[in-house]
Amino acid sequence: MASLREIKNRIVATKKTSQITRAMNMVSAAKLKRVERKHVAFTPIKSHIRRLLEDVLSSNPELSNPLLEKREVKKVGYILVTSDRGLAGPYNSNVIRYFDALVKEKYQSKEEYIVGTIGYKGYSYCKRKKLPLLNTESINSRDDVKFIDFQAMSRAFIELYLNNGVDKIVMIYAHYINSISQEIKEEILLPITDLVSDKTDLISDYIFEPSTEEVIDQLLPIFLENTLYGIILDAKTSEHAARMTAMKSATDNALEIIQKQNLVYNRARQAQITLELNDIIGGANAVK
Amino acid sequence: MNIVIVTPDGELYNEEVNSVIISSANNGDYEVLKDHLPIVSTIDTGYIKLTQGKMVFYVVVINGVVENINNKLTVVSQDAFIGRSKESAFKNLNDIRSARNEENKKRNIELAKAERELRKQIKMTGAGQL
Repeated sequence: MASLREIKNRIVATKKTSQITRAMNMVSAAKLKRVERKHVAFTPIKSHIRRLLEDVLSSNPELSNPLLEKREVKKVGYILVTSDRGLAGPYNSNVIRYFDALVKEKYQSKEEYIVGTIGYKGYSYCKRKKLPLLNTESINSRDDVKFIDFQAMSRAFIELYLNNGVDKIVMIYAHYINSISQEIKEEILLPITDLVSDKTDLISDYIFEPSTEEVIDQLLPIFLENTLYGIILDAKTSEHAARMTAMKSATDNALEIIQKQNLVYNRARQAQITLELNDIIGGANAVK
Repeated sequence: MNIVIVTPDGELYNEEVNSVIISSANNGDYEVLKDHLPIVSTIDTGYIKLTQGKMVFYVVVINGVVENINNKLTVVSQDAFIGRSKESAFKNLNDIRSARNEENKKRNIELAKAERELRKQIKMTGAGQL
């Protein structure tokens, strides 16, 4: 049995860890609320641009754009959304494992796909595995999400798509269902296929400045970036939820260990007292 | 007429104005007055000049969509900054953006360092495999 002091040290250390995990749990809960609010506030913006785009497309059905056309898929671009930091339970490993399984199932060589990562965890994984990476440095996945953080990458991907470098762009991320469950989801970013272009309830006849083609050329990348941003917000919500749950169970586990260790400690203390009493009694008997 | 400028961080501006000049690098300039026909255009990098009585404001916009309908002009942008003059608004926005980029680079270095340190510690203590 370990000595009394060793057990005591262990109890103190576990207690400290539990304090940290409890604090992290509370921080994540607060951040989760904040990002959830941001996500909700962003939804009308996203749908506004979508509505505009659908209006333009339905009033000009003859319009075509390479971003809207399906073509034969030879090379696929994947965007993995992970977090910058760990201690988020299975959040990052779920995304990575999903992607790994997908690659193993679908591709024979690394020539057939290219990866873009958001978040340091995904970046360091791809670098370690020597996967074909699009971004040369990690794209930050900060808690205060901003467009500028991933603009360079999204533009690079769109350009690659337009230059026939990739024929499809898929995002893999953890979709937030509720605070205890998130599921890994695949979403096709490009080509854009889910726009309704034969709407009948046109809101109005717009003038397009300078021309319809140019408006749509500029509107599509903005729409894409907004979709990407929405997905990142979704993933961010999942991250905080995952971290919150992980930290909650870590705290619970720590408390359980403390309880067990306390029992061990008391037993050891009792044993020591008995031993000392025995010594004293033995000593007293010897003197008689 | 009413103008609303929205960014992902929330509403930046929502006021009654007399006239709006929209200027962008891709489309040039045009002015929108009261009772303008419904119009849609985009701004990649540009500014919006708002005239409200004697006051003039400039809002610098990055990747925005402008929609005017029934005397209500809505600008949905990815990043925007409001200022008293065009130059100061541009400067402030650029400062904020470059500061953010710098910070991101710094964070990357810090994360790489932290990961290296963690690996070292794990190796030293012999706790599991990374």
